[in-house]
Amino acid sequence: MRPAASLTSAFAFLCLAGPLGAATPAAAQAPVTLEYWVYSDFAQGEALALQQKFISEFREKHPNVTINISGRGDDDLTAGQVAGAASGTLPDVFMNGLAVGAQLVEVGALSNIYPQWMKMPQEYRDQFDKDALASCMPKPDTLYCLPYTGFGEIMFRNLKVLREAGIDTAQPPKDWAEWYAQMQKVKESGKYAMPDQTQVFNSVASTYAVVGDVKGWGVDFETKKTRIDPATYAKVLQLFVDMAPLNSGTSRNDQATKDLFITNQLAFHVVGPWVDPTYKQAAADSGLEYDFTLVPAMDASRHGGIKSYEIVGVAPGTNQDIAFEFAAFITEKNQMARWAELLSRYNANAAAMAEPAVAKLPLVATSVEAVKYAVDVMPPYFVGAYPNCYRSIVTDNASAVADGDMTPDEGAKALVEELNDCLAN
Amino acid sequence: MPTRHLPHYLMVLPFMLLFAVFFLYPIASGFFYSFHDWNAASDPRFVGLANYTRILGSRDFERAMWNLATYIVITVPLGILTALGLALLVDSFTGFWSNVFRSVFFLPVVLPAFLAATIWRWMYAPSFGLINMVLGWFGIPSVNFLNDTGTMLYALIAVDIWVSAGFNMVILLAGLKNIPTDLYEAARLDGASRFQQIRYVTIPMLAPVLFFVTTYGFISALQVFDVPWLLTGSSFTQYGGRQNALLFPVMDMMGRAFGAVRFGQAAAYGFILTAIIVAFTAVMFALRGKEAQR
Repeated sequence: MRPAASLTSAFAFLCLAGPLGAATPAAAQAPVTLEYWVYSDFAQGEALALQQKFISEFREKHPNVTINISGRGDDDLTAGQVAGAASGTLPDVFMNGLAVGAQLVEVGALSNIYPQWMKMPQEYRDQFDKDALASCMPKPDTLYCLPYTGFGEIMFRNLKVLREAGIDTAQPPKDWAEWYAQMQKVKESGKYAMPDQTQVFNSVASTYAVVGDVKGWGVDFETKKTRIDPATYAKVLQLFVDMAPLNSGTSRNDQATKDLFITNQLAFHVVGPWVDPTYKQAAADSGLEYDFTLVPAMDASRHGGIKSYEIVGVAPGTNQDIAFEFAAFITEKNQMARWAELLSRYNANAAAMAEPAVAKLPLVATSVEAVKYAVDVMPPYFVGAYPNCYRSIVTDNASAVADGDMTPDEGAKALVEELNDCLAN
Repeated sequence: MPTRHLPHYLMVLPFMLLFAVFFLYPIASGFFYSFHDWNAASDPRFVGLANYTRILGSRDFERAMWNLATYIVITVPLGILTALGLALLVDSFTGFWSNVFRSVFFLPVVLPAFLAATIWRWMYAPSFGLINMVLGWFGIPSVNFLNDTGTMLYALIAVDIWVSAGFNMVILLAGLKNIPTDLYEAARLDGASRFQQIRYVTIPMLAPVLFFVTTYGFISALQVFDVPWLLTGSSFTQYGGRQNALLFPVMDMMGRAFGAVRFGQAAAYGFILTAIIVAFTAVMFALRGKEAQR
């Protein structure tokens, strides 16, 4: 029964600052101080050290610029940026996820950096993954972000659990049928095959990609209707019904799910590459035997899973040009290659991903392949914000069908109706 | 204003300034925005009572208020009873064991909410969670406490009582220590049992403390946010758990503000909640006043 102290204070601050109007940013003059907000895991340990190295390198060419780096959790980033937009206290350069891009544009937190982008050398502009860059461009002359780190979802396999279930682990399952057969064997051996894929919006999207039709996921903001086709979605819901008796009952994001995997109770974990350091540590500490592979799909020529990117945004204001310069610097190939190498993380700089030292990293190589097939989590970006009801409807519907409250056909039909109702209102 | 009072006014001026800037002004501006459509970027557009009517007519508000009412009706009395029980238990010990019990029962209060939620998410996990393991020993099938709409609210209430009981226990314990021992001696001489001593001595003497604990518990319950938010793995764009079984007003308000970027609606939501809190607190004080007069 504790009040929402930090968030309500952010809201109170917003009310306090709002009527004062946007504070006039200090005139562009040397020295300049840039506030730089990053994800909290980028602001600790080796990641922070490398970020500070980037800052030092940038300052060698811009000695008048001081850059204060600050790490924040997902919700704190969004709340801070929204409140900052209202009060004129936005950080100059900041990270967030593509999925909240539309909200940030709506509150005026992101400036259109297309003019600065076009002034950059062609060589720099060609470095980015074209699809990732397109995600930041709702219109041809509008660029709201530079895509940064990203992920294509992969499937972690607990090799010990699979072997104990009598499964040959030499080759990953080539398609859904083979994967499902392995899940059943795992369950028969007394272990859990999968987390419950119905509990989290992203895992429902991931399962949608298993069925195919990656273009059918998302919203048409012009007509205010979902793009989901009921016939296709009924097949997705059938997968949840099939997996229901085989899953652990925990969501893919639960700590319990990772613990089950580490303690050899769970066979498959479909998730982003960020869990790899945890599993790598467990391999060193307790002998966890695992690998990762592409997520199988219905069709053996395709793969399932989702993809998304973290973004680097630049706030409007008199620091915008130097802030963009810094954003461009940290997203440039040399920095992105070092960043990818340190974290073993895929990112949107295709040239960096092609660097031999990076490309040979197994996690990056698998991610690069995964991104080619994966479905975007909440497209189209920067066009409109998904209403809050959208995600809840998707997960509630999937859970209800998995529990047998509706058939997949009924569930798919109901889902489309409810989503369209949610979008219309 | 007589000049002899000037130094006094000057002394309270810093507080009054801070109070005006950080309390009165946000309240006034929030009230202003509650009648406007405002997304933080565009100019506020006056919409009259539209934000209020939209919230009061929304399904989410209805669901959040229903959840809240159920939650309060169970949590507040059960939480106070638990705290009173713990306080009586601790009070019955002296010295070392009193300190041990007091510390153990108070520990959840100082535990960060995210840690408490993580521990409980593990305990509630289906099949292999501690609670389901115990249930399994008695042949009771696994319960998905945090994804079954029939159990989610009760799962939250258990966590909240666990978290808050220690705080209330400390307050009640201080009240218990202030009860003169001769009252108990007199009760014992009159042949009162232990239960009768609690009924006729402890509870009446604790009434002012119980009133405080009840009022505080009630106001805290109205603002319930962090534990259900964490138990359901909520974010600004998806919160409340399955079928909004753990959706509460503050969560809905925060989602409207930082998820949907509808600050006018969020401000109106805040004032609706404030009105409810003020009304209930006034009722509590009125009842207390009547009780004191008898």
